[in-house]
Amino acid sequence: MKTRLTKQLKTTVAAISIGASVLLPLPAAAFDFPEPGDFASGSKAWAENCARCHNIRPANELRDDQWLTTVFHMRVRAGLTGQEARDILTFLQTSNVALVQEPVRPDDAPASTLSGKEIYQQTCIACHGADGKGAFAGVPDFTDPQGRLSKSDEELLKNVQNGFQSPGSPMAMPPRGGNSALTGGDLQKVIKYLHSEFGS
Amino acid sequence: MKQTLMKLKPLALALCVASLPLPAYSADNLDSLRNTVETLKKQLEQVQKQLDEQDKATVTRADLEEVRKEAASANEWKSPNTLVHMAGYADVGYAKTEGEDGSFGVGGFSPIFHFQYRDLVMLESELEFEVEDDGETSVALEYLTIDFFLNDYVTLVAGKFLSPIGQFRQNLHPSWINKIVSAPPGFGHDGAAPTSELGAQLRGGFPLGGMRTNFAVYAGNGPELNSETEDQVEFELEGVRAEGFGTDADEELVYGGRFGLLPIPSLEIGVSGVTGKATVTELEDESGLPELVLDEEKRDYRVYGADFNFSYRSLGVRGEYVKTRVGSANTGITASGSATWESWYTQAAYKFLPTKWEGVVRYTDFDSAVDAQDVQQWAFGVNYLFTSNFMAKFTYELNDGENGSPVDDNRFLTQLAYGF
Repeated sequence: MKTRLTKQLKTTVAAISIGASVLLPLPAAAFDFPEPGDFASGSKAWAENCARCHNIRPANELRDDQWLTTVFHMRVRAGLTGQEARDILTFLQTSNVALVQEPVRPDDAPASTLSGKEIYQQTCIACHGADGKGAFAGVPDFTDPQGRLSKSDEELLKNVQNGFQSPGSPMAMPPRGGNSALTGGDLQKVIKYLHSEFGS
Repeated sequence: MKQTLMKLKPLALALCVASLPLPAYSADNLDSLRNTVETLKKQLEQVQKQLDEQDKATVTRADLEEVRKEAASANEWKSPNTLVHMAGYADVGYAKTEGEDGSFGVGGFSPIFHFQYRDLVMLESELEFEVEDDGETSVALEYLTIDFFLNDYVTLVAGKFLSPIGQFRQNLHPSWINKIVSAPPGFGHDGAAPTSELGAQLRGGFPLGGMRTNFAVYAGNGPELNSETEDQVEFELEGVRAEGFGTDADEELVYGGRFGLLPIPSLEIGVSGVTGKATVTELEDESGLPELVLDEEKRDYRVYGADFNFSYRSLGVRGEYVKTRVGSANTGITASGSATWESWYTQAAYKFLPTKWEGVVRYTDFDSAVDAQDVQQWAFGVNYLFTSNFMAKFTYELNDGENGSPVDDNRFLTQLAYGF
């Protein structure tokens, strides 16, 4: 049911558009709503749900406040539970950081008590998959002998520490996989685990 | 500057003294010298005052730090309770139908407004602007709903909403999401699938054992029907307009919904249904101009649907079936038999990673109550994804309809689509 635009309607539409655009440049901020979700569960829910209908949008495409409204819109559209929406929002708001291209700096912080396998299962598994082949298109296949694990450990460490976007991947891996609590020692444990579990 | 003047003070005095002749000074000379010194003192005091005032007006580092602290503590603009976000999509394209000249067109500009108050409620609305063949701009309210988040599993959605029957209308029709330039026959306006509804629905999702589910149930005003006649004696149902009417012409609500099940994360299976009443409100005669008709007999209205969606890495396969049945009417101006509209499609899409190319093929079979609208269509598409939300699409449709009907002609379509 379409309507020809009358002068009055044009004015109304213009007023709505201008009003909205004035309010658009809201700076990113830490909101006190909704309650924080779980990063790892969020990355899994994001990988499993969003690509069902559309191409995956990179996390750094939107600001925190824009992700908030977008995820709540998608909660209604995709039939997500409130917890799934909060988890996905936490994952996206944590991951929408710019990649840094810096050499690996010495990281003197002691490694956590977690093993490389435990760290992988908590932080990396949602995108890279339990089998290391990648949970969705564009994620590198760790089991490929000529693939990502054929690179030097120094380069792998740099990519994990600073973040990295593979060619063809819908989004970049955020610095430290999005888990800022991981130390340099933790990252080295993960790389060691990748070689032992998926390397040829 | 202040320090420089302070240094100049004794120097000025010394110069004054030095400028005097060496012989003993007379009383007059001493008075003159005293006056000069007094004048200089007054001038220096004035300069001193001006400098003090200047110091008061100048921002220091300490002042700046104070302002920074104050700004950091002003959180009301950083974390408001109300958020506003404009999303949406737009597309432009070129179409060439077999035997006709091609032409450029604006597919549409569809801004989507989100207004959200905390995690309690969201107002969302999509407008649709289009450029008509005569150059005029038309506008439609695609949807406008208030979404009230009742709890983690249920949201109340009230207003004009996209029909939750099937998948295409509610989730796949935006040009940056639809992988083929055109909609599958029967899933556009006046097809087999309802497009919009005005009413209230409950939507949400919940886990079921190790599986996931999603659901939508609604009550709405329902559709209105078109009838046609060539001789004012025999009448036929010509179309179902399920586009969200602001009044209920038959005075009976329709009830419907969809239930989706995800036995595994990569597979979704859905079933849909609608039941209610509908009545004819438009009659098209031999002149081709529709006229309004009132108080026609209520007819049974039923819709059945099923859909599936499977994805594995770069491959996406989906399909959908929908059938709309309108019952007969024995009384009234437009009394006629029942009619059905039925359509199904299957689509496969594959991304050739790591390149930005994507291939798509879709088959649709649309069986309308009006034979001239029946069509079997193969659509082949090649897309180039500049980014995940901006793409160029190239589609060739092989259409097999009734001989001589417009839907029998093959078409080439290309489109630039941008989602924002």
